[in-house]
Amino acid sequence: MIPLRYNLRSLRTRWVTSLMTILGTALVVWATVLAFGLGAGLDHTLEVSGGPLDLIAMRKGASAEIASIIDRKVARQIEETLPGIATDENGRKLCSPELVVIVAATRSSDGGRTNLIIRGVTSAARALRPGLRVVEGREAKPGLREAITSRSVSKRFRGAGLGEELEVMGSKLVIVGVFDADDSAAESEVWTDLAVIAEISRRKGVVSSVQLRATGAQALAEIKARLTGDEQFALKAISEKEYYAEQAIAGTAIKTVGWIIFVFLLIGAVFAMANTMFGAVVTRAREIGTLRALGFSRASVVFGFLLESLTLALAGGLIGCLGTLPVNGLSTGTANWVTFSEITFSFRFGPVVLLQGVLLAVLVGVAGGIFPAVRATRMKIVDALREI
Amino acid sequence: MSFGMKTQETHLSSEANRPLVQLRGVTKDYYRNRIRVPVLADTNVDIGEGEFLAIMGPSGSGKSTLLNLVAGIDRPTTGTIVVADQELGSLSESRLTRWRSEHLGFIFQLYNLMPVLTAYENVELPLLLTRLRRRQRRQHVETALKIVGLADRMDHYPRQLSGGQEQRVAIARALVNDPVLLIADEPTGNLDATAAVEILDLLEQLNEQFGRTIIMVTHDPRSARRAHRLLHLDKGTFDERPIDALEAAS
Amino acid sequence: MKFLPYIFKNVFRNKLRTGFTVLSIAMSLFLVTLLYGFLASQENLAAQSAGYNRLVVTHRQGLTSLLPVAHLDKLRTIEGVKAATQMSWFGGKYKDDRLPFTQFAVDAQAMMNVFDELTLPADQLSQWRKDTGGCVVGTRIAHHRGWRLGDKIVLKGAFYDVDLELTVDGFYDGSETADLDMLWFHWAYLDESLKAKRSPIAGLIGMVMLKTASADDLPEVARQIEARFTSSDAPARAMTEQAFQQMFSEMVGNVQAFIRNTALAVVFALVCVAANAMAMSLRERTREIAVLKAIGFQRGTVLRLVLGESLAIALLGGFLGALGAKLGVLALVRFADLSRFPLPGINVFDIPWITALYALGLAAAIGLASGLVPAWRAAGVSVVAGLRKVV
Repeated sequence: MIPLRYNLRSLRTRWVTSLMTILGTALVVWATVLAFGLGAGLDHTLEVSGGPLDLIAMRKGASAEIASIIDRKVARQIEETLPGIATDENGRKLCSPELVVIVAATRSSDGGRTNLIIRGVTSAARALRPGLRVVEGREAKPGLREAITSRSVSKRFRGAGLGEELEVMGSKLVIVGVFDADDSAAESEVWTDLAVIAEISRRKGVVSSVQLRATGAQALAEIKARLTGDEQFALKAISEKEYYAEQAIAGTAIKTVGWIIFVFLLIGAVFAMANTMFGAVVTRAREIGTLRALGFSRASVVFGFLLESLTLALAGGLIGCLGTLPVNGLSTGTANWVTFSEITFSFRFGPVVLLQGVLLAVLVGVAGGIFPAVRATRMKIVDALREI
Repeated sequence: MSFGMKTQETHLSSEANRPLVQLRGVTKDYYRNRIRVPVLADTNVDIGEGEFLAIMGPSGSGKSTLLNLVAGIDRPTTGTIVVADQELGSLSESRLTRWRSEHLGFIFQLYNLMPVLTAYENVELPLLLTRLRRRQRRQHVETALKIVGLADRMDHYPRQLSGGQEQRVAIARALVNDPVLLIADEPTGNLDATAAVEILDLLEQLNEQFGRTIIMVTHDPRSARRAHRLLHLDKGTFDERPIDALEAAS
Repeated sequence: MKFLPYIFKNVFRNKLRTGFTVLSIAMSLFLVTLLYGFLASQENLAAQSAGYNRLVVTHRQGLTSLLPVAHLDKLRTIEGVKAATQMSWFGGKYKDDRLPFTQFAVDAQAMMNVFDELTLPADQLSQWRKDTGGCVVGTRIAHHRGWRLGDKIVLKGAFYDVDLELTVDGFYDGSETADLDMLWFHWAYLDESLKAKRSPIAGLIGMVMLKTASADDLPEVARQIEARFTSSDAPARAMTEQAFQQMFSEMVGNVQAFIRNTALAVVFALVCVAANAMAMSLRERTREIAVLKAIGFQRGTVLRLVLGESLAIALLGGFLGALGAKLGVLALVRFADLSRFPLPGINVFDIPWITALYALGLAAAIGLASGLVPAWRAAGVSVVAGLRKVV
């Protein structure tokens, strides 16, 4: 086999070209990983949002909580009469009635407007979502026009910052606390007291949904059956996992754009790499001829060049991936058309996404390098030796 | 590996021993835009072991072509070529490649060293095609470099060497795998007079002291005079000429 | 200019390398044209809407709050209002669609008056008006879904608590950029179904779309509307149709920033790629350039020749990329059913020619930027050294 150092040192000789190629590949990988990282972040938020034994009940046929109305009496019946609902360490049932409204809000970055989910809850809601904890400020006091929201929302929307006032249906809610919700759907929401929202939106006596946790898989199935089948309830009851899975379509636009970017940049980068490798092959025609005259096989020459293009591509891929790290965890949001409001999520560069970046680099290296590498050995030895 | 001394053998007449290189009925045509250009016409040559052969002729006469055919990096249009009892035509591409690495040493006009490898690494290249271990390879490389007198420049890169030194490294590379035949294509073509003399001295030494068979193509009479036999090639046909007939063109 | 043939000869001397460079640039500029084209397309749509002099009236608190239908009559009495219709977004689930296509409950005749740039054959309109459970659909969505006159369309209520069975009575049509993916049915039908269920939201409408006599009337009418209902139980908000459409695209996010950053990265990478190719090409031509200078070509001329070359290559790539994007999108919108795709405005996506032109301009900039250093180097080639260069 041709010694590795021959190929690697040759890369270093044409260091400007090598650098440009590495940079070009790095940028392409960077842009693609960013795009995929967005999609992955959205998926993650929707995935972690539903506990395995958690169930959500809404009006039958409603696609989302904002389209659902459940009478409070019915909600109370669910909590009091249905068996199989889990309890917390204090014996309190993990069953939470919730009232959801959406209000227009303005993004701080570009002034664009979208809708935010305002969730009216009771203390039971917190028990159902143990991962949610206030990290700045304090809890909102029941009965007062106070609210807490996620770090992301507080930073990205006007009027949602700590201490600021958010306009909700003609009234104002003061943001008294900021919470961390473990990247779940709550990161997109503003939480306040159920009674307060009922008053502001003039919807006394109803809630949007009832969320509960079952004691086990069997209990979950039974509760589901009763809520949907019993005439007393006749609701839509699905596991939270299903509920959020239905919203996954929100990611379609982002993912499609991600793939489009991927395909176009991949092809562009392959051509660019091919150019570089062709240049190398042409410049080193005599060296190649010599190696083959000395007795190195065609395959070993091809392999050597592939190694060069792969090295350049992988170096670029590494830099590109590293370049995305500063953006990791940066939160952003987009429209969730199912809830007609903003869904907040963060860039997420997990192993899968990074692997996609590396794969892109490998593809560029191989696809871009194979044609020139093979061409390199096509030339007859005698002709190659005659090259300048 | 035997770098031992060999006694001088008769050069001119090849009938006594079985020839190292045998060409029979060899022709070579090139095609230029579908026009057939014959470069070599019905060539029959014998070259004995231990010979130092020079091939001269005007440019385009096919001298390099002949060299390439004997070296196995080109194939004749018709005819057979036998080198060291191996009929080259019967070998497949990959076998021929292997055969080259084991039997031949190349010396080029432009040295053709790998610019990114040191002198040591350049000389070592042919050995990487063998099964020799690193220590054995080191022995061979050091010996070869010592023969050409560049043992102290092992770690230098070609750009750090003079033209003559580069060519000497190239000769070491050609020797390192103990070839039966050294093929030199205008070895002094790119060198100034002093360096040329050094190289020719070395080649002579390799032939007379170490018994290496050398086939050298050259257009320079001074180089050709170092050989013991001269073939003149013109318009594809060979012509044996006596060496002394060469004009003393100093 | 007289050097043009020489420049082109050099561009094509190494067809493979030029081809690859051109394709590389083309691919990347295709992408950039696509991204910026989308933004431009949205803007164009908005600007186009401006010409129709329409206002959208919604509840002050947003689209999910409903207005009493009585508001509609009051709106019709405001001076300057030529026609007005309610438009309640139904959002029903059709078969297995993950997202609902656009369905509106409207007042049939008023709808045609408000959207007078759209056409509906007179007989189909009169049929629709007679048929309470009837609907009309846009020609594009009808084409994709294979709907014919008389077909029954069942929509399961997702937002509203009623299921509807509608009959296709006609197909409305419009210009190339009109939204022909909607379904319109009678608001009266929806309302009756809601009343039958004793729904608390019977008698309410989602929004009102109205048309004014002229563009000058718009601000005054809007002001009057908001003043009229300011103290009612359901205060209203009036905005132009463009503003309304913008609301939807804004919800998607800070798309502008995303596109800008991606495009920047791409352009930067391209400059590297093109400069690289240029440099490689010139390295092989050092002797040629030395000869040119020996003959008497000035440094400045050599500089311009090289720049001209890199410009030509980049423009070729830009042309391919921009044109490819424009045509690609045309084909996409014509042949693909984009009514299901969750991106507002995607079904009328059309890259304006001006965007393609900007992309070409970008290509030119890339060509110049990438050719600068190689051109400088070439201009500075020493004649003697260049002529001597063997290796």
